[in-house]
Amino acid sequence: MKIGKKTGRGIASILLGIFSLIYVSPLFIILFNSFKSQTNISNEPFKLPSAATWVGAANYRAGINDYGLLSGVGWTLLITIGSVAAILLLCSMFAWFITRVNAIYSKILYVLCVFSMVVPFQMVMYTLSQTADALRLNTPWGIIIVYLGFGAGLAVFMFSGFVKGIPLEIEEAAMIDGCTPVRTFFKVVLPIMQPTYITVGILQTMWIWNDFLLPYLVLDRNKYNTISMLIQYMRGSFGVVHMGAIMASLVLAVIPVVILYLSAQKYIIEGVAAGAVKG
Amino acid sequence: MASITINHISKIYPGNISVIEDCNLEITDKEFIVLVGPSGCGKSTILRMIAGLEDISSGELYIGDRLVNDVPPKDRNIAMVFQSYALYPHKTVYKNMAFSLEIAKTPKEEIDVRVREAAKVLDIEHLLNRKPKALSGGQRQRVALGRAMVRNPAVFLLDEPLSNLDAKLRASMRTELIKLHKQLGTTFVYVTHDQTEAMTMGDRIVVLNAGLVQQVDTPQKLYDCPNNVFVAGFIGSPQMNFIDATLKKDGGGYVLGINGDSLRIPADKVMDALAQYDGRSVKLGIRPENINDDADYVAAHSDSAISAVVEVSELMGSEVYLYLRYGDNMLTARVAPTTKSKIGDNIKVSLDMNKLHLFDIESGDVILN
Repeated sequence: MKIGKKTGRGIASILLGIFSLIYVSPLFIILFNSFKSQTNISNEPFKLPSAATWVGAANYRAGINDYGLLSGVGWTLLITIGSVAAILLLCSMFAWFITRVNAIYSKILYVLCVFSMVVPFQMVMYTLSQTADALRLNTPWGIIIVYLGFGAGLAVFMFSGFVKGIPLEIEEAAMIDGCTPVRTFFKVVLPIMQPTYITVGILQTMWIWNDFLLPYLVLDRNKYNTISMLIQYMRGSFGVVHMGAIMASLVLAVIPVVILYLSAQKYIIEGVAAGAVKG
Repeated sequence: MASITINHISKIYPGNISVIEDCNLEITDKEFIVLVGPSGCGKSTILRMIAGLEDISSGELYIGDRLVNDVPPKDRNIAMVFQSYALYPHKTVYKNMAFSLEIAKTPKEEIDVRVREAAKVLDIEHLLNRKPKALSGGQRQRVALGRAMVRNPAVFLLDEPLSNLDAKLRASMRTELIKLHKQLGTTFVYVTHDQTEAMTMGDRIVVLNAGLVQQVDTPQKLYDCPNNVFVAGFIGSPQMNFIDATLKKDGGGYVLGINGDSLRIPADKVMDALAQYDGRSVKLGIRPENINDDADYVAAHSDSAISAVVEVSELMGSEVYLYLRYGDNMLTARVAPTTKSKIGDNIKVSLDMNKLHLFDIESGDVILN
């Protein structure tokens, strides 16, 4: 019986190991290709770099110097930080309000928010880009508002789930202790919601950082480019496909997200589970 | 320090659901008053209205001389201890206790003095740096009390603060709370569904049922002279026995006819009010300790003796509960552990007619105590 169990576990581990390798392999392929010359990337994409094909940091220099990768990183950083901060702060306040205020309109607002999660982006992308243009939201600052709208569904859903699990007495105790509603939120509710903040923050960061379609449709491409947009241009918009710079840019784009995910995956799992159970 | 005046207060929730109806109550300064009643009777709602956590639908609420109907909780000079303790999970015990003072912008030195003073009284000085999750139920309860104490409130509101503790800890915390009340000399309003807590702790007890105040009195008076069948049945454990009987005039006095027995009401208990019940059914109430199976007692009180069958006998250590079948009625008798009565015995017991209560069978109001 014991041997059977052990064998089962062994087989499961091997299978999961193989799957993990399959999932991780694109990252490694990008990483080692980023140190290979242009021709070798195209001709032998799965071959490890050798002394003959090794070009060092040339591809990274090309990405930075020729394609303005650093400015892309800057804009992506600004949009991501701004959007995630807005989503976290406003959606948590909103979720707290609609969960605690027992009125029909708060239930309607909750349903609307949750409903927004099931509407495919492709359905609204044309009207959205037109509206964003008309409202002059085609800047990195303006797109933060668009991201707030798109991120609100999941964020409100997760925050609401968590707030429902916070005993109301804690907030009442804060009221008796002298807190106004705003102070109750910032001094009591917000610190208690910390795990959900981390979870929502990471999920939203990964999505916004990696997003291509929304900035591509909304942003004024002559002035502002995110990393994803730049990579697309490297892919062919300038007449030449610079595979080396693409690989280097992809590595630079992926590194922050991978670090963020690895350092906080515990919170993601915890937060998603909490929302699911309590929601 | 403050008195509380509740003047014709009602609470009606949306959908015309009435929870409290025309409640009137005077709580004097430094009094320990206990609101007691079954679940859903409205006791916590009254407490929450005093705290300002529930709106008052109609009526007036005064704390001291100040009308506080529309005063927010933070400005009522009250402190509340919740059933779940409601400690801030992200703050240490010290920070939990200091929070209200920090909000009030009290100087740091004074906060420190007051927190440490309260911690000393409650014997939680060694816990000040811990977070609530690292505390036991009893310790959390003390922290919740400490958080209330540091504010030096005029009124302490306690909403079933002992119900999450085990029986032993609850008994010791009861004593602690009584001591604390004496030490602080503040008005305490305490909500519980446990009549033992109410009897042991309150200067006065407010018995509530279905949103209505049934009786407000001292524990002893509630026990001895209940206003109605509900109070008589709610206060006391095991609860009072009730038997339907017929009141009849007999010579100069009255007798109660039950199952063919005639029990004479003592002459000194006879009153004019009994005349209107002559020949009518009434509800007789007798407490378990007023039913005696001792042979000598039964012989001496043969005019109130009845025969009953012992169905269950429970030894409680210092006493025995006999569950007796008397005609269609079940009676509980609290007798000495030396009793010879056994399950299945047909025994004679005598009722102490001086401790008899009579109630109107329709209204439930008391006729005779």
